[in-house]
Amino acid sequence: MRHPSDGTLRRLLDEPAGVPDTARDHVATCATCRSALLTARHDAEFAAAALAFDTDPDTEAAWRELSAALPVTPSPPVKPSFRTTISRPLVAALAAVALLAGASAAAATDWFQVFRADRVAPITVNPAELVQLPDLSSYGTLVIEREPHVREVTGAAAARLVTGLDAPVVAELPHGVTGTPTYYAGDQAAAVFTFSAAKAGQTAAAAGKPLPAPPAGLDGARFRLTAGPGVAEVWRESRGAPAMIVGRAAAPKAYSAGIPFATARDYLLTLPGIPRAVADQLRRFSADGATLPLIVRSAEQTSSTADVNGVPALVLSSRDGAFTGVFWVRDGMVDAVAGSLGSDEVLRVARELRWGR
Amino acid sequence: MANRQPAVRADLEEIFRAAYPRVVAVAARVLGGRNEADDVAQEVFLAFGRSDVPAAEAIGWLSVAAAHTALNQLRSGRRRVSREEAARSESVSPDVADAVVVNDERRRVRAALARLPRKQAIALVLRHSGLSYAEVAAALDLSPASVGTTVRRAESALRKELNRHASPE
Repeated sequence: MRHPSDGTLRRLLDEPAGVPDTARDHVATCATCRSALLTARHDAEFAAAALAFDTDPDTEAAWRELSAALPVTPSPPVKPSFRTTISRPLVAALAAVALLAGASAAAATDWFQVFRADRVAPITVNPAELVQLPDLSSYGTLVIEREPHVREVTGAAAARLVTGLDAPVVAELPHGVTGTPTYYAGDQAAAVFTFSAAKAGQTAAAAGKPLPAPPAGLDGARFRLTAGPGVAEVWRESRGAPAMIVGRAAAPKAYSAGIPFATARDYLLTLPGIPRAVADQLRRFSADGATLPLIVRSAEQTSSTADVNGVPALVLSSRDGAFTGVFWVRDGMVDAVAGSLGSDEVLRVARELRWGR
Repeated sequence: MANRQPAVRADLEEIFRAAYPRVVAVAARVLGGRNEADDVAQEVFLAFGRSDVPAAEAIGWLSVAAAHTALNQLRSGRRRVSREEAARSESVSPDVADAVVVNDERRRVRAALARLPRKQAIALVLRHSGLSYAEVAAALDLSPASVGTTVRRAESALRKELNRHASPE
């Protein structure tokens, strides 16, 4: 057989059980491979010695330090519901990218709509980039006017009463999904972001870089962000975890007052603190701002594109195969089907959905 | 209408107590200093506290975030003078000559790490911090089969980098 790769030889040192028997047997009888294995061992030991660092941290003292820097009230446990599909970092990131990916100008003293999603596209980030992705408070003041207030309702009629939206009707449940769904309704969420050159300057200084000169009119400019309302139906497994979620929500929108939105977007993308890989992807979005960017965590998820009855859709799958979701935008509404299902199953459900009874 | 206080996940303390030593160890391997590593760990846990990363994935997420953040510090040259001074005094031993050698060695290792391709440097640090091949693969979006290749290349490159800069000036 061929000599095993350097990577296989290296793994033989750490996790021999992870190396196929055929490779182990080959190395045992091959002088060339034994020599390469010895070199790999020397390099590994050299690296281990170079990187050795005796740490015996004081966890209690560190926890006291962290506690002092945290807000007082812990968040309540996240309910296994529609809310889990719009997790908090995702909302924060969406708010940021909705602002950044905005489009045509709107220079006036009143609010003008400048962003409305009519399709979805992935932004791939690794976990560390997600850590680095700044929230809007790094560049100004974010005031939440209305929380989404997602709650369980008695059925489709109640969901329509709360949101004005028709609940989805699933033509045929996938194998393993049974019973009647629980209905959820969420109000429209709204926030206002006010850009502050002083705050942006502090954030830039913390990153050790100067703040690029803001364009005229940006300091103090306000941007209004909205998302929702939305409805969702959740089918549960016997253990209570969601087996399938079908939902619809009004797509996020951004409005600008006082400065052309494209001017603000182009400037914000140059600020220190936004990971370059994220900024590069944002720049590729359509100039009309009609794309809704969704964060894909590269270490945990994969994304692909599909078609739902003539509309481009984004399919997100967890790498462990435990979760798949399909998202698409039509007429200003984001629709989603997700669950412990295969991509074929979520796409079939998506293509056969009807809205309203 | 009021500013919303950032929420903190309910399981933060439990995960902090379990994972803090590992996170500090990852950052310390990159930075070669305990105090700087403590700062990185605080920064990473603050971000984690606002995240919804599943608890089962916390160790991998925190480790790779610590490695990235520490490497960013190395490469940006962002240092905190007071911390740097503290780190120096921390490592002073009765034998001043030994302390000088140790500090110089740490500086050379940090410089060599900073010159490696980022993925190699992080795979190297995570593996030598005790993460399994499967954990490194998940953290870096690699197949488990290619973790060995990446780590092997990193170790070879580290040795070459350190040997290249070992000759007396």
